[in-house]
Order: sequence, then C-alpha cells, then structure tokens
Amino acid sequence: MLSRLFNKRKLQILAPVKGDMLSLEQVPDPVFSEKMMGDGVAIMPEDGGIHSPIEGKVILIADTKHAIGIRANDGTEILIHVGLETVSLQGKGFETLVKMGDSVSIGQPLIEVDWNFIKENAASIITPIIITNSAEKQIEHQPIQTCIPGKTVLMTVTPK
Amino acid sequence: MERSFKITASEGIHARPATLLVSSATPYKADVQLTYNNKSVNLKSIMGVMAQGIPAGAIVTISAEGPDEAELLNKVEEVMVTQGLGEKC
Repeated sequence: MLSRLFNKRKLQILAPVKGDMLSLEQVPDPVFSEKMMGDGVAIMPEDGGIHSPIEGKVILIADTKHAIGIRANDGTEILIHVGLETVSLQGKGFETLVKMGDSVSIGQPLIEVDWNFIKENAASIITPIIITNSAEKQIEHQPIQTCIPGKTVLMTVTPK
Repeated sequence: MERSFKITASEGIHARPATLLVSSATPYKADVQLTYNNKSVNLKSIMGVMAQGIPAGAIVTISAEGPDEAELLNKVEEVMVTQGLGEKC
C-alpha cells in the first residue's frame, strides 16, 4: 500500500515561455476558458520562444506551426497553443525547431515566435498550456506569477 | 459500424473542431476511431485527432463499436453538420 503511494510520482509542468501566468478562465476563447480541451493555465508572453515544459516526446506539430503537443513519460499529454486564432496565419510568424517523434528535454527550444507579427495579425498572443488528458489526472495549480521558461512550475500532475 | 465525412471546416480539424468532435464522442461507451490517410486514432483523444492534421476537403471515416455505437455516430454527425465541420458522404 505504502509503496503504491510513493510510486505516485509528481510530474512538474514548467513554463514554456517568458511572461505573466493567467488562469484559463481569463482566455477569451471558450474552447480554452471552459476547459473543453482540458485543465491548464495560460501565459501572456513577453518575449523569447516556446520551450519544452517537460521531458518527453513530440506527438503533435501543427502544419501551421502554431501548436505543439508533448507526451511525458508518465503519459501526460500537454498541448501548447501559441496565441489565439493563430491557425489562420498558416505558419507565418513561427519557426519550428523540432519534429514529430523527437525526444525533448525540459527547457529545450521548440518554436521561435515573431510576437510582434502575431500581435498584429491574430486575435491574441495569449498562449494556453493544456493537459489534454487531464480527466485521468489530478492537477495542482501553482500560484499566479511571472514565468521564466524551464524554471517556473505552472502545475504538478499526479495519476488519479 | 462506420460513417464517412468530407471535412468542410475552412482550416481543417485544428484545436476547436477537434475539441468539438472529441467532446461529442467522449460521453459514449463505444470505442471509436477516426481514420484519415490509412491512419486511425482514438476519437476520444484531442491530441490524437489534432495530430492527424486533417485539412479541409479531406475524407475521414469514423468507426464505432460498442453498445451505443449508433447513438455515438448520430451525435458525431450532428456536431459535424451543425458546427460546419463536415458533411456526410
């Protein structure tokens, strides 16, 4: 019994980008704010690129380069959606640095972003970070704070 | 049982359409797969569906197996049509 408890290791989800943390409810898009995709947080980016929030494997890169999905070794799946309504940019303003199936480490650069271009051409630069299989997990949110990529903990995840 | 759809959403099955489809299928017991380009994924997985990278104009097949497979397919079709994601073909 006890050993089962100790085996429930926590997964830390680190900030993928520099900026201020927001709650998902503050994202002006119901797909995210109503947690239809899953639990998570958002960041209002300041500058710099998107970094890996966990150690894991790249399981999704949108052709339009605005979204990336990573699966942790414990099965937790994390989607980083860079900006809102950014699918319509058709890849402009983004440069992907990894490909499907790549193993990535915490803090590894994943996508370079031209934030000024996104600000001018999409609905918002708010970047939701979603655990898409959160129904199977217990999510603990950390306090709202200013994020440093690869350092600030956003959430911790434990199996249910 | 299965049903095929032509995707009409102008930007394909990105975050919002994928979420709507997955939300429509998840409440049902039946196992359900979405097949595109000979690759099948679980229609109850947002990441799986998004990773298919389904563009506008694509033909996808949704196959369900389980006690409520017919209800599931009817619901998926309803969401496809009313949300402007695809049409039955």
